[in-house]
Amino acid sequence: MANTPLTPLEHELATLIIDTLELEDVTPSDIAPKAPLFGEGLGLDSIDALELGLALQKRYGIKLDNDAEDNREHFASLSSLAALVETRRVS
Amino acid sequence: MRQYPDRRAFKRDMPVQHPLPSSPSVFLRDWRAWLPVPEDASSFDDSRIIESDTPQAANVPAMLRRRLTPLGRAICEMLDMINAGKDNLPIIHASQHGDGHRPLDMLDTIAAGDALSPTRFSLSVHNAILGIYSIAAGHHASMAALAAGGEEFEGLLHETRGYFAEGIDEVAVVLSDSPLPERYRAQAVSATVPSAIVMRLSRHEGLPIVAEPDPTREQGATRITPRHLVDWLSGGEALHTRRPALRWTITSCAHATAADTAQRDTR
Repeated sequence: MANTPLTPLEHELATLIIDTLELEDVTPSDIAPKAPLFGEGLGLDSIDALELGLALQKRYGIKLDNDAEDNREHFASLSSLAALVETRRVS
Repeated sequence: MRQYPDRRAFKRDMPVQHPLPSSPSVFLRDWRAWLPVPEDASSFDDSRIIESDTPQAANVPAMLRRRLTPLGRAICEMLDMINAGKDNLPIIHASQHGDGHRPLDMLDTIAAGDALSPTRFSLSVHNAILGIYSIAAGHHASMAALAAGGEEFEGLLHETRGYFAEGIDEVAVVLSDSPLPERYRAQAVSATVPSAIVMRLSRHEGLPIVAEPDPTREQGATRITPRHLVDWLSGGEALHTRRPALRWTITSCAHATAADTAQRDTR
């Protein structure tokens, strides 16, 4: 399904998503970097978004405002999440 | 001001009574149980009993199933086996401590000053398993989750009779049991492994469940577990409940097994 290889950070985030959200029978290579994570695509839901926000805070020290408008863009795909982590990580 | 119906008239029309031997008012149509057994233990040899400690719950989509514990998976699987979803039956789930460690583990997380997992939080409610089943099965009938301090079986039968009094013909009832974290076990009688039983109860058809007043056994009654119910349904001794003090029997178990098998073979 995924034909573009993942960058090391994207691979790390894909593993974080799979482990944190307890996805069954999904491997990092199943997640395409530009594919939607929520709704269509991987099919994550709003509880997953909160869980992922917590995981980003624990792993990278990134604090997201729950109401921030741009969260939707940050969480759109693996590559947008990687861009967020690149710019905002403190650990 | 709203006029309420005369309370005495209401009481006269809808008397609250315990089932009596002469007029059984609850009938058993079908059942399934999940009793995970250690590898060295002997098997139950009954196709209605699931013994695997990792139930598949293939009827639940993977994205929902990932949030269920083995107990939740077993319950969702068995509810479909008795057609609770297909026939849109009201479902009542009774359990003393809910789904295992989840709610109590969250207290530790709070005490340690850590952030709570939103997923765990959403699943720590007593009706979490039924909620997920309702999404998975597109089930829109009434659902209720009970905790009754060790009197869950009595609670289930009370609720069932309530639904029947309202004109509902059949309900699915679930009794489940789950171990508490070690440190709480001194405070409560707790299971060491999770287990569950699902029964399809009717007010017209099936094997009559009969309750007789049994005041002498009031002190001797114990907490009824899924395993007790399986033994009872397999022709074992009568069950004794404390409040109300009743002796519960189910007739023609051998006949039921044959009839049920015949029914399954024709499906």
